[in-house]
Amino acid sequence: MSDQKITIEFNDKVVRQFLLASVFWGAVGMLVGVTIAAQLRYWQLNFDVPWLTFGRIRPLHTNAVIFAFVGNMMFAGVYYSTQRLVKARLASDFLSQLHFWGWQLIIVAAAITLPLGFSRGKEYGELIWPINIAVTFIWVVFAVNFFWTLARRREPTLYVGIWFYIATIITVAMLYIVNHLSIPTSLLHSYPLFGGVQDALVQWWYGHNAVAFFLTTPILGIMYYFVPKAAERPVYSYRMSVIHFWSLVFVYIWAGPHHLLNTALPDWLQTLGMTFSLMLWAPSWAGMLNGLLTIRGAWDKLRTEPVLKFFAVAVTFYGMSTFEGPLLSIKAVSALGHYTDWIVGHVHSGTLGWNGFMAAGMIYWLLPRLWNKPLHSVSLANLHFWLGTVGILLYTAAMWTSGITQGVMLNATTEGGTVLAYANFVETVSTIRPMMMMRLIGGGLYLVGWFLLIFNLWKTVAGAKAVNGSIEVFDDAGVTTADEELSLVGTFLSPPVAFSIFGVGFSCAWMFGGDLLSVAGLVGLMLCVVLAYANFESRGKKWAAWWDRLLVTTAPFTILVVIAVAVGGLVQIIPTLIVHQAANVEDRRQIPYTPLELAGRDIYVSEGCYNCHSQMIRTLVPDVLRYGDYSRLGESIYDYPFQWGSKRTGPDLARVGSKYPNIWHYRHMENPRSVSTGSIMPNYPWLLSKATDVAALPGKISVQRMLGVPYPAWSPAEVFANADAQAKAIADDLRAAGTSVAPDRAIVALIAYLQKLGKFETVAPAKSSAR
Amino acid sequence: MTPIPPPEDHSLRRHSFDGIQEFDRRLPNWWMVLLFGSILFWMVYWAYFEWLQVGLTGSQTVALEMEHIVAARLASAPTTDNASLWAMSRNHVFVDAGRATYATTCVSCHGDKLQGGIGPNLADRLWIHGGNPTDLYATLEKGVLAKGMPAWVPVIGAKKSAEVVAFLLSHHAEGEPIEVQAAWIPILPQ
Repeated sequence: MSDQKITIEFNDKVVRQFLLASVFWGAVGMLVGVTIAAQLRYWQLNFDVPWLTFGRIRPLHTNAVIFAFVGNMMFAGVYYSTQRLVKARLASDFLSQLHFWGWQLIIVAAAITLPLGFSRGKEYGELIWPINIAVTFIWVVFAVNFFWTLARRREPTLYVGIWFYIATIITVAMLYIVNHLSIPTSLLHSYPLFGGVQDALVQWWYGHNAVAFFLTTPILGIMYYFVPKAAERPVYSYRMSVIHFWSLVFVYIWAGPHHLLNTALPDWLQTLGMTFSLMLWAPSWAGMLNGLLTIRGAWDKLRTEPVLKFFAVAVTFYGMSTFEGPLLSIKAVSALGHYTDWIVGHVHSGTLGWNGFMAAGMIYWLLPRLWNKPLHSVSLANLHFWLGTVGILLYTAAMWTSGITQGVMLNATTEGGTVLAYANFVETVSTIRPMMMMRLIGGGLYLVGWFLLIFNLWKTVAGAKAVNGSIEVFDDAGVTTADEELSLVGTFLSPPVAFSIFGVGFSCAWMFGGDLLSVAGLVGLMLCVVLAYANFESRGKKWAAWWDRLLVTTAPFTILVVIAVAVGGLVQIIPTLIVHQAANVEDRRQIPYTPLELAGRDIYVSEGCYNCHSQMIRTLVPDVLRYGDYSRLGESIYDYPFQWGSKRTGPDLARVGSKYPNIWHYRHMENPRSVSTGSIMPNYPWLLSKATDVAALPGKISVQRMLGVPYPAWSPAEVFANADAQAKAIADDLRAAGTSVAPDRAIVALIAYLQKLGKFETVAPAKSSAR
Repeated sequence: MTPIPPPEDHSLRRHSFDGIQEFDRRLPNWWMVLLFGSILFWMVYWAYFEWLQVGLTGSQTVALEMEHIVAARLASAPTTDNASLWAMSRNHVFVDAGRATYATTCVSCHGDKLQGGIGPNLADRLWIHGGNPTDLYATLEKGVLAKGMPAWVPVIGAKKSAEVVAFLLSHHAEGEPIEVQAAWIPILPQ
């Protein structure tokens, strides 16, 4: 090693940019959150304005807090810590700036398009396809900038925080791309490549792991840097880091189907979703333990240091919500809690508690260091902490009460279990309205706390001079010799990897194989476990030596991460491709939408109706009693995108077709309270005056044909004639009922769609069930 | 790189990253139990429901339960002939129970005074689907789906349905003339 020392100045400019952006978008996202919470309590606050209506701005809230608030915070934390952990300046100033400005442009585009009703209709994946391409591009910029920096590192070994960053970058790219595969019909509209049950599976594989790999793993990486820094204590256990990193990234991917328990999703997928969610409990808690027990040696600092207070509570909430998650993934608990506010509460104990407080702690820690000036007011930061904590507690307590109350009411039966105790859905909504008020107060307190942070930041930063960190290192530090590094062959020909691959392979043989293969798989799995244990006990040092070599070589490490996160998705998604084909559907098959109904469906998607209404009657008695026969897999096979939903603020709509007359729907959309006393749904008066986009239908239908929906080869004129005839029939019916409306209005198309829901044809049962 | 030192508890690893050091503590036993226990649970649960298929699937369970519910309903269904329904309509217990159900379930379409709205008037002598007690009950049973009247008996049960019919009949008298009306023109709230 030469004794030539050089000074490296870190790129902290981009860290400051991301930090300020996170603070700003955090305020915007939370403000929208408080607004929609208020709309749930007071429907009048929808103001009959399309772009202010709940269905459109709830996606704005979720996208803003996930991708804008936490996204920017993550980039700030990743860039700050990575440069220091690998002793290298970010590889490219240009890519850093492109990353920052590109991401902000995406956020602005989202903030414009979502309220205007341009939506893909999939939760946390609402943004339209041109923005999807931009997100993918900027993510690649981030990846290149990050891995290029790793390549130039002067620290041979990768720290645990970096492992989590690598997993984040790889997995988010994989999830985002697959879930956003679409065929455009216009510049602003597209249909997803997957439909029905398959879209449901892909969506929640993505949706669940957006939580896992966007809101959890990068923040764990950030925790592993900032918590020991702030506590000035060593990390509690390295061994725990290793075990919990690999178990977390491997198991998380399998858990997506727990969003679809008791639905038409094939049973084996539900079983995987539930059992793997329970398996997540230990890996998640290891993260919590490593965070909390690192702080343990510094409890005295908690009195004086708000940063540590934020971290301690954040990690505690991480532990709480990762206990609650597996709990809610138990089928019986899901039967009660799913579709209710309990889920909303669960999500917010993660986002407000874990993400929000990790962000606040990190920001308070970084401000004095990035601007070289002490924090303006420690007591204001303390006040922020207490307002935020009380806010989260009120919020989650309100949602637990509300969710369990409504769940119990919806599932309650009388007269020997033969009749619903509360047949009217609105009655259950009216009962939880006080809890909606309490949520509003809790969320409001949290937002006030955030404004205190903004004030504190402004007072600290105003007039301060930005400084960039720097270190002195030996010029050739971090250079490793070939025998220290791991070759690709050496990566796989190692006991840990070999045993893992065989273990997973045998497990799959056991689970999915026929009689003989299945037994062989089980025997093989047992044998594999025993041999792995024996090998570890006798040759554990070899495992350790291999691991040390893996940690100095980025590419093999990254490849192993790719494999670990890909397995779960492949095992779950590929068989579903077969099940999803119309020819393989048993029992019932959906009747394709007419052109007008398709136009109505696109209105339904664009207005974000799925934010409050499910289209999935679960295999549960209370669901069947309330909404009719349970939904079959084939009944949504032509739905691009699927609209099973995840929340029932209003009732399920899977079989609403023909339940009410056309005029009922007309009046209901104009003013829900005129036909449903006590309803909290917004008015949709603009649907009565807006025209249906019929001109786009031929293009949309040709895309649907490409996707496999059996439409005849209609000419555009035939499509228009078909739509016109159906629209006229509905308008005539409405006129007979006393209302005059032009057939080309959006309301007519929407009514056509709603009246189609639940229409199916019976198909002869197939010989054997595909697994 | 030096290999990991022997796994002594609390041993501090030599390397430090930007000043951050790491202990190499053992994993707590209860945590190991949690991890391996949950893996074992996966195997047992999968074997029970998917491999050996001892446990019933969701659709099998709900079909079975619904069959029991239908059986229980059939066994406890009230007599719904004309005479019994008229008799119920003169009994305050039935009428009051029916009024309560009407107030939550029927009022939004038929009005608080049975005067009609989206759905027809139920207090006058004009009937679309017949004015005999059994006709009323049949309408509740099958619904008039094309006009938006849901089938209520499966939702609220036979007992409550009979009570609602009794409540409606309490506004009428046995033997009063019944006129047949072709259709109802909805009165729309403004």
